[in-house]
Amino acid sequence: MNILHLSWMLGRPAKSRLAPQVLTASAYAMVSAILLIVLGGAYSFTSFESAAQGMYLPLAAFAVVLLVVPLLVLGSAAARLSARSNDRALSSLRLLGATGAQIGLVAVLQAAGTALAGALAGIVLYLLAAPLASLIPFQGAPIGSAIYLPLWVLAIAVVAVVLLSAGSAAAGLRKLVITPLAVATRSTVPTPSWLRAVITLAGILVLYMVFSNMGQFVQSIAAIIAVVVGGFGFGLLVMNLVGPYLVAKVGKAKLRKARTPQELLAARMILESPAESWRQVSGVAMASFVAVVGGSGAALMELTGSELDQGTWLEHVPADVTTGVLVTLAISFICVAASAAISQSASTLDRAELYRGLNRLGMPYETMNAARTKSIMIPALAASIGFAIASTVLVLPLAGAAILLKPLTVITVIVSVLLGLLLVRGAILVADPRKLLATRE
Amino acid sequence: MLENSLGQPPVLAAHGLYRSFGSTTALNGVDLQISLGQSLAIMGPSGSGKSTLLHALAGIELPDAGSIMLNIPGRAPVDIQGLKDKARTRLRRESFGFVFQSGLLIPELTAEENVAMALMINGVPRNAAISSAGAALAELGLAGMEQRRIGQLSGGQQQRVAIARAQVTGAMMVFADEPTGALDSTTGFEVLEILLQCTVGAGKSLVMVTHDPNVAARCDRVVQLQDGQLISDSLHPSATVDGGAQK
Repeated sequence: MNILHLSWMLGRPAKSRLAPQVLTASAYAMVSAILLIVLGGAYSFTSFESAAQGMYLPLAAFAVVLLVVPLLVLGSAAARLSARSNDRALSSLRLLGATGAQIGLVAVLQAAGTALAGALAGIVLYLLAAPLASLIPFQGAPIGSAIYLPLWVLAIAVVAVVLLSAGSAAAGLRKLVITPLAVATRSTVPTPSWLRAVITLAGILVLYMVFSNMGQFVQSIAAIIAVVVGGFGFGLLVMNLVGPYLVAKVGKAKLRKARTPQELLAARMILESPAESWRQVSGVAMASFVAVVGGSGAALMELTGSELDQGTWLEHVPADVTTGVLVTLAISFICVAASAAISQSASTLDRAELYRGLNRLGMPYETMNAARTKSIMIPALAASIGFAIASTVLVLPLAGAAILLKPLTVITVIVSVLLGLLLVRGAILVADPRKLLATRE
Repeated sequence: MLENSLGQPPVLAAHGLYRSFGSTTALNGVDLQISLGQSLAIMGPSGSGKSTLLHALAGIELPDAGSIMLNIPGRAPVDIQGLKDKARTRLRRESFGFVFQSGLLIPELTAEENVAMALMINGVPRNAAISSAGAALAELGLAGMEQRRIGQLSGGQQQRVAIARAQVTGAMMVFADEPTGALDSTTGFEVLEILLQCTVGAGKSLVMVTHDPNVAARCDRVVQLQDGQLISDSLHPSATVDGGAQK
C-alpha cells in the first residue's frame, strides 16, 4: 500500500472527524477565496495608466503578502488538527512499524489534501463573491469584470495554497511527537526574554527619530507610501518580536490576581507557551496595527489632496487608500477568525483526554471552556490595545496628533479593535470542548 | 435497605444495574452495597464491566436501568440515577474523590494548584485552597515539591498529588481505577498504602478497580465481575464487620 493510498484511507471524510475536517477545509476555502479576490483586485489595476500602476500595484502586492503570514499560521494549525483527529490511526501505524518520516508524510499529505479541497471550494466562493467584490470602486469606477482572473492564475493560486499548507504542516508537525502509543504535544516552556522588549523599544525609538526627520517629504505621495509600507513592515517585525514577551507579562499579572479556577487555569495556559498564545492572537494585533496605520493614512490622504490633482488619476487616491484600508482590515479579520477557530479546535483536541477526565472528576465543562476562552481573549485584548498604542506612537511623527485625533482615524481604530475581538470571540465558540468532543465520542 | 452492625445504612447502594453498549452487555443486574470506611476491590477479566460499574457508582455514566442511592451520614440521601448531568457533575466534585491510572492532573498547573483546584471549584477562596493543598501534599510526603509542574514529578509522585486532590475536599467516598497500574511494583505498593491510609484509614470508603490480585488483597472486600454479572463477593479475613461487606 503506498503512502498516497494510506493518506486517503486515513484522511477521507469520516463522521468521527467531520468537525475538524469541515473546519479546516472551510478555513482554507475562506483564505483561498480572499486571496483570489485580492489577486483579482490587483489584476484589475493593470488596466490603469502606467503612472497609476506604479502606485497601485505595490500596494496590492503588499496586501497579497499580508495574506501569506495568516496562511502559514493556518496551515500549521490545520496539520496539527489533522494529526490530532487521526491520532489513534497514526499511533497504530507507528506500532505497525511505519517510520516517523512516513507518518509525517501521511499527515502532510492529509493537510495538503484538505487544503486542496478547501482551495477548490475557495474558487467557488470567489466566483460567488466576485460580483459583490466587483462593485468596490477604484479610480472612481467599480472594478467590474476585471475582478475575474484568468484560469492559469486560479491554477497557480490553488497550487500555492496547497504548497504553503504542506510546508507549514511539516513545520507544525515538529511540535508533535507521534509514538506507537500516542500522539503528544512536545512540552517546552520557553520564557520570552526581556531582551525582546529592549530591542523593540530601541527599534521604535530609532524609527520614531527617522520618521520625525522626514516631515518635509510627507507631502509627496511616493514618500507617504514608502513610509507607510516601511513602517508597516517594521511594525509586523516588532509585533512578532515583542508579542510573546507582552503575553508572558500579562499572563504573569493575571496569575497573581487569579481568584477563580478559570482565571487560574487561563493564566497558566497562557504562561504554558506565551509564543503559542501570541501566534493565536497575532492577527488581532496585526488588525489593530493596520487600523492605526491605515486609518491615519486615509485621514492624511484626505488632507493632502490638492486642486492640482483634479482631473488626474491622483484625484481618486485618497478615496482609494481608504477603500484599500477597509478591504485590508476585512481580510485581516477573516484570517484572524479562521486561525483562531482552527488553532483552538486543535488545542481542544490536544486536551481531549484531560477535558473528559476532569469532567469525570467533577469539573464542569463550563469552567474548562471559560478558562480556554479567557486564555485567548486576555492576550487578544492585550495585543489589540497594546499594539494600537504602540502603532500610534510609531505613526505619530508621520501623521501628527491632529491626524491621529481625527474622527476618521479614531473611529477606524475603535471599530476595528472591537470587531476583531468580537470575531475572535465568535470564532473560538466552535472549539467548545463539550460540543467538539461530543462529535468524537 | 441493609444495615451494618451499628444500624447504619450502606453509604452507597446499587440495585439491579443494567448497562449495554450496542449488543454488548456491560452490566447485567448488579447489586452492590458499600459501607462507610470500607475498601472494596472490583476485579474481573478485561471487558467484564469493572470500569462501567465504577463509572455508574460514581455517577459518571448512568446505567440503562437500576438504582444507585448515596447515603452519606449527616446529609440527605441522593438518588444518583435521578440526577441530571449538571447535578451529577456537582455531586462528583463535592462528595467524591477520584484517582485514575493516568492521574488526570492538569499539566500547566503546579502540584499545589492541581490539588487546590478541587477546592476552588467548590468555592473555596484561592489562598485558603492553596494553604490546604500545601498541607495535604506535605502529609503525603511531597513537602518542598508544591511548586513543581506535573511534568517535573515522577509517576509515583504524580499519583500522590492525585490522591491529595481526591481527599483534600473531605470527600467520604474515593473511586480509583487502576491507581497503581502505570507504576512499578515498589512504587505501586507505596501509592496503594498511601491511598488506603488516606481513605479507609480516615474512615472513608474506597472503591477500586484493579487487575492486580496483590492490590485487591489489601482491600477489606473483593468482588469479581464476569460478563457484567457479580460472580463472587468475599471479605478479607481481617476485615471487620462494620467496615466489611454487608451482603
